[in-house]
Amino acid sequence: MYRSAAKRLLPAFYRRHQNAISHVRILAANRHTRFMTSSATGNIPDHNPIPPPISNPADCTASSSWKEEERTHYTETDEKFSSRTKLSKAHYKDEEARVLSASLPHVIRFGWTETAMIASARDVGVSPSIVGSFPRKEAALVEYFMDECLEGLIDIIESRKDLKNLIPSERVAKLVRIRLEMQTPYISKWAQALSIQAQPLNVPTSFKQRAMLVDEIWHAVDDDANEIDWYVKRTVLGGIYSTAELYMLTDSSPDFCDTWAFLDARTKDAFDLKKTAQEAQRLAEAIGAGMGGSLQGFIKSLHGLNHVWNG
Amino acid sequence: MATLVRSVARNLRRNKLSSMYCPASILHSHATSFGFKDVAEEEKSKMVGNVFTSVASNYDLMNDLMSGGLHRLWKDRLVSKLSPFPGMKHLDVAGGTGDVAFRILENIKNVKRRAMQDVLDDDLIEETRIYVCDINPNMLRVGKKRAEERGFGRDKSLVWVEGDAEALSFEDNSMDGYTIAFGIRNVTHIEKALSEAYRVLKRGGRFLCLELSHVDIPIYKDLYDFYSFSVIPAVGELVTGDRESYQYLVESVRRFPPQVELGYEMTKKQFAKMIAEAGFQKVEYENLVGGVVAIHSGVKF
Repeated sequence: MYRSAAKRLLPAFYRRHQNAISHVRILAANRHTRFMTSSATGNIPDHNPIPPPISNPADCTASSSWKEEERTHYTETDEKFSSRTKLSKAHYKDEEARVLSASLPHVIRFGWTETAMIASARDVGVSPSIVGSFPRKEAALVEYFMDECLEGLIDIIESRKDLKNLIPSERVAKLVRIRLEMQTPYISKWAQALSIQAQPLNVPTSFKQRAMLVDEIWHAVDDDANEIDWYVKRTVLGGIYSTAELYMLTDSSPDFCDTWAFLDARTKDAFDLKKTAQEAQRLAEAIGAGMGGSLQGFIKSLHGLNHVWNG
Repeated sequence: MATLVRSVARNLRRNKLSSMYCPASILHSHATSFGFKDVAEEEKSKMVGNVFTSVASNYDLMNDLMSGGLHRLWKDRLVSKLSPFPGMKHLDVAGGTGDVAFRILENIKNVKRRAMQDVLDDDLIEETRIYVCDINPNMLRVGKKRAEERGFGRDKSLVWVEGDAEALSFEDNSMDGYTIAFGIRNVTHIEKALSEAYRVLKRGGRFLCLELSHVDIPIYKDLYDFYSFSVIPAVGELVTGDRESYQYLVESVRRFPPQVELGYEMTKKQFAKMIAEAGFQKVEYENLVGGVVAIHSGVKF
């Protein structure tokens, strides 16, 4: 999730190093659990993790300059451990990622629980005790899945060119649909995943992940013709996404066609409202230019109220 | 008084000239600490053995008195951090009276957990093995008695083993979990105990250490010192008639772990570094009760 933030900050750099993306992805995926761990242990007093040794896989040389940046995030104590990394010991993050990805097939049977993770640890050949080291066990699995879906979505955005041909409202609907379709194999247990994400300890991380997801979709849609606030856009799309997700939970139509119809209707509404709001604002400006500042100010305050109602 | 003794001892060590005045035993062998006294290494394990032989029968009562009953919560926290699972092979070192082992077993056999599990796991519950290893046979004896009282007398999941933390009799890569609760400060060579822990753990296995440690917050520290050095040995004398043992126990906490050459007490970070040097990854520690107790954990890969 931090990779996408960086992507926005360094778009040119990122686009140039397309071939290094897969390596960066390994590094970034490894950082996910790390940062989520540290962000969620705020409630434990004086929790002080020692940074682990960094393993330097040989295939990361292509993205060496990217690694320079990442290295600045680590502290000096890593240098002391670097001698040990040369003995090719598996980095614990890789192992954790392996266990989590192997758990997804078990989720269909066991749900998003420790049992699924214990079964997958046995499959991978690691002691199931490793599950005890995940800070918020089931949440770690759900968050891993959300990150995987986000990365998949980014891949699809980059690889598919036909999306550019759609009008913005259809593009938004298509992207949300693609993302929700990634959840269809787990739909029988998705309500459990949502309840895990809603637990107070897990809310900060799940909120961040959803915000990132929404940002990615808006970035892909890239609708420049707007004066609407970024937060308003995020909130609107967040609302559309969440309602479609919830609708999908109880949808029994073949291939979820009802959900897609619902989604299309909602995005159309949102874009219509946007147009209406923009037209209203332009009208106000035109009148205001004629009638002086007072009416414009009045219409602007109405415009603000409109956002509060519909945002 | 105790701080005076400690500072004198520290000055003696720092000052090379005064080594002439040290007892002969320290000159000839690598000295280690027995509480605030410096003793020869060979003697430490014997003296620790004597301490625990004498306190074994009242060990649980003294734990309650020394910690105000909090030790139960600390051990509960240790076990919940461990997240035991059916079929686990676990080793509890220096866990003579079985507190941690019983909690793990109860956690695994918990009815609520069984309701949620797969049918196949019932076989796995049978395969669970909790090994309780202690260097002192008296502590093990007390532990076996307590196991019977709790209804684990016939349970073949509990295995009582007499052994030394520095030289475990278990095979490499055989344990899913390793815990040591309030025992590591009694070990003479902590690095050896840590590397033995690393050896017996499987890949993905976890090491957890519950230990009393330093409190740095000013006023809290003074209160804690007063409680440790004045109240505990006095209560020990009242309850068990054995002031010396409790004096040792309290002092050993302050000196954990022994750093004879440098003459200072180890902090949690230093202990964490020792754990990392033994080969563990993801080394972390969690403070309980404002730093009085800490749970260090690491994972083997």
